[in-house]
Amino acid sequence: MSSKEKRPAQLLQGTLDLIVLRNLETMGPQHAYQIASRLQQVSDRLLELNQGTLYPALVRLEQYGWLKGTWGKTESNRDARFYAITLAGRKALVKETTHWRRMSELVERLLLEGTQA
Amino acid sequence: MNKYLAQAVAKLRNVVTSRETDADFEREIRTHLAFIEEEFLRRGMAPAEARRAAQLECGNLELTRQSHRDERAFLWLAQAGQDIRHALRSMRRSRGFTVAAILTLALGVGANTAVFSVIDAVLLKPLNYPDPDRIVQFFLSSSSGPAKGASIPDLRFLQGYANSVREISAFDFGQSEMGLTSGAPEQVHGIHVTSNYFHLFGAPLVLGRAFNEDEDSAHGPNVVVLSYRLWKRRFGGDDQIIGKEISLDKEWYTVIGVTGESFHAEPEVQLWIPFHFNLNSVDQLHSFGVAARLKPGITLVQANAQLNAASEAARRDFNLPDPDFQFQVQKFSDAMVSYVRPSLLLLQGAVILVLLISCANLANLLLMRMTVRKREFAIRGAIGAGRGRILRQLIVESLLLCSFGCVVGVKFGLTGARALLIASPNALPYIGKPDLAFGLDWRVLVFAAGLSLLTSVIFGLLPALDVCREGFENVLREAGARQGTGARSKRAQSAVVVSEVALSLVLLIGATLLIRTFISLSRVEPGFDSHHVVLMTMPLHSGPTDTAASVTSMVRNVRQEFAAVPGVESSAATFSAPYASRMGLPFTSVSSNSTVSGDGEWMTVSPGYFGVLKIPILRGRDFNSSDTASAAAVVLINEAMAKRFWAGRDPVGQQILIGKDLGPKFRDTPRQIIGIVGDTRDDDLSQVAEPTMIIPDAQEPDQMVELEAQFGPMWWLIRTRLEPQQLISTVSEPLRRASGGRPMGSVRTMDDVLSGSIAKQRFNMLLLSVFALIGLLLAALGIYSVMAYSVTQRIHEIGVRMALGATQNDIRNMVLREGLARGLTGIVCGMCAAFFLVRLLADMLYGVSMRDPAVFFAVPAFMVLLTAVAAWIPALRAARLDPIHALRFE
Repeated sequence: MSSKEKRPAQLLQGTLDLIVLRNLETMGPQHAYQIASRLQQVSDRLLELNQGTLYPALVRLEQYGWLKGTWGKTESNRDARFYAITLAGRKALVKETTHWRRMSELVERLLLEGTQA
Repeated sequence: MNKYLAQAVAKLRNVVTSRETDADFEREIRTHLAFIEEEFLRRGMAPAEARRAAQLECGNLELTRQSHRDERAFLWLAQAGQDIRHALRSMRRSRGFTVAAILTLALGVGANTAVFSVIDAVLLKPLNYPDPDRIVQFFLSSSSGPAKGASIPDLRFLQGYANSVREISAFDFGQSEMGLTSGAPEQVHGIHVTSNYFHLFGAPLVLGRAFNEDEDSAHGPNVVVLSYRLWKRRFGGDDQIIGKEISLDKEWYTVIGVTGESFHAEPEVQLWIPFHFNLNSVDQLHSFGVAARLKPGITLVQANAQLNAASEAARRDFNLPDPDFQFQVQKFSDAMVSYVRPSLLLLQGAVILVLLISCANLANLLLMRMTVRKREFAIRGAIGAGRGRILRQLIVESLLLCSFGCVVGVKFGLTGARALLIASPNALPYIGKPDLAFGLDWRVLVFAAGLSLLTSVIFGLLPALDVCREGFENVLREAGARQGTGARSKRAQSAVVVSEVALSLVLLIGATLLIRTFISLSRVEPGFDSHHVVLMTMPLHSGPTDTAASVTSMVRNVRQEFAAVPGVESSAATFSAPYASRMGLPFTSVSSNSTVSGDGEWMTVSPGYFGVLKIPILRGRDFNSSDTASAAAVVLINEAMAKRFWAGRDPVGQQILIGKDLGPKFRDTPRQIIGIVGDTRDDDLSQVAEPTMIIPDAQEPDQMVELEAQFGPMWWLIRTRLEPQQLISTVSEPLRRASGGRPMGSVRTMDDVLSGSIAKQRFNMLLLSVFALIGLLLAALGIYSVMAYSVTQRIHEIGVRMALGATQNDIRNMVLREGLARGLTGIVCGMCAAFFLVRLLADMLYGVSMRDPAVFFAVPAFMVLLTAVAAWIPALRAARLDPIHALRFE
């Protein structure tokens, strides 16, 4: 559990799900390596994902029925498991996004209030 | 679908498909590695370096696999499956142990389930009446002990004074036999009840209605309510039956109602007729029971307090002579089962001991197995299985043993319960009726499952905790040739064997006391000769048309008919046969020179009674043909009466008046005592004879004939020259012919009746003996297996001893001594326990004191012998060991 503490940016419970879903929605089906490198890229390497975190998240999302994993070929003709967002996943993403926005807004407001006082 | 539900479904599915998904994931992670490697190659690393870097980047792959697996499926479930498979494998491997353990458990659980099924059905199940816990039965706690019988003045008192109850109803005790004579004559069980009986017991009616108060008044009409089953069987479920007339004992009754199918009286009743009480009567005949319902908010205690106060007021107001006259209430259900409760509780106690013994045996088996398996667990621990995992494995094994034991035990139990019912002396209340079939209900199941769970888990885990406490390393170190000789496991085994022996000794002492009781009872001289005597009932249930004269002439006719039947030696009739109930009545002497008074039992007999039963006339004379209705009134008394009331004086020639001040029904003329007959123990073999007054039937007052005919059948006693069974078919026809077509009721031989009177004691004795035998067997097995096991464990040590010069005898005696030491400790403990526990049996014993020295000597001596035999076999085996082999034994 010490490895978590070393991570540059820690993820709030549930936010990884949101990020992965959002990524798949915009980018289309991707395999795990693509997801990991894309997230690193977008977050300017602030988000260091290791396989021990990503894979359980993928399993969880697939079990929720929000993702569907299928085997396919990459451009380099390699076998890889591609994850695609499902209809249920899209619905969940909308819901989770709204939820996240509301949460972060609330947190923001509370923090601001702190500085004013 | 809810996401968590979807997740749970997926996880469950993955428990099963774990292996395939494992392979799938392996492929995925390999691809992932390849991608990283490619990336590094693109950045210009050398291939070997790129591969290493990729692996570094990926971190601990095994951890990733593990977390993937954790996420994927219910891990604990997957492992439980593994544990179960493993447990089944290990059970199959040691088949002997498994069978022994399951059988031991099943024996304990089965015996308990059997007895508990019966107890559950008889003692615990609520009565099938609305709000049954609020129904109470009255009893009179007078100076002569509690009595359930009430008289009409008692009923009047309760109706006026018992303010804490409502719906006070009277009903006949038990079941009286009535002759249903419309159509083919048949005996049916009918009782008299007051009008609110049906309301009190919430009897549903499928047709018609219950009695109203007018129909129950002193001069009400003859009406009858039929039971559902009688209506279906006898009247074909005729729905036009209301208003029809049926003939009961030659009187016509109008059917006004039929009860619902679900309504049962206990014992079974087939029809109900109103009492027609004259509430102004002052008769002191205590002949019926009274029950009522507690008013809302009143507790049993409050009701009793109120009754105490009311009884006191009544004693004052009516100036009652009996200072103890006091009514109390008791829960109706308790009153109903009070006579079987001691037997059933005794059984429950005995089977709990059996259960404890089988638990001890199971613990013994598990302990021995554990010492063998210590090494297995230590190795598993050493290669990384956590203590939790090992404990869980053991729990799973115990649970498996438990479920098998439970299933087999319940099977045993139900068979046993059925056997119990067949063996039970008098039909137990509530069960054994065709449509009240008792069976497996959830209470019995929960009871059995709980028992087996408790036993197997506790005793399965104790040794495991032991291993954990000792530490795997120590166990491994110890687990060489001398495994299992650790002081702790040895102590535990000794404790188990000692308690087994102690418990079975307690059971055996109890059983022996009951056996001795039964033997003493069977040896009691009843005071009459029961061999070659047939006993038959014939319901009389006469209206006012039957008088002493008509009954006497009918009896004379039947006796003449009987005398002509080949094989009949003599015959007699009476209203109070042996083991049937009798009336107790007060008497006072009316001779000028003495003032004797007291209570005695009233009995009327036809001529020939004393001859049939071979009861001796000790003084004076038997009744003879001159003792007619018009002759001087006479009475015979028994020896007990003579001794109690005329000690040292001669009662013959004295005059007594029976039933004085008891109201018109009991009016009698003074009678002269003409002789003394021998005492008979014809109520209860364990009780000495009560003072009894015997009246010739020709001289019985008419109102007494009516009374006796109402409360019981007439009994015929026939002494035969042949085996009594052969005669039964040949006497029924003459009886019907000479009695004017009355049906014959039950027929039994006097020998059966006599042995039936101690059936309860026989039942207790038999069952306790069976349980004691089971306990004994288990205890002997326990000693044997522990000693045999200990010898196997100590072969090496024995070899060393032999090498150092120990002879065969030395070795044999060593093992024997050890076995006996354990046995003796158990015996001493058991004797101490038995010494106090026998108090619970005290009420059931006869002819043997509860701490009978012979029993307390012989039973332990027998146990010592048994211990010696059980230890002898392993001792002999130890002594015959070849020292060379023993030394090399690993």
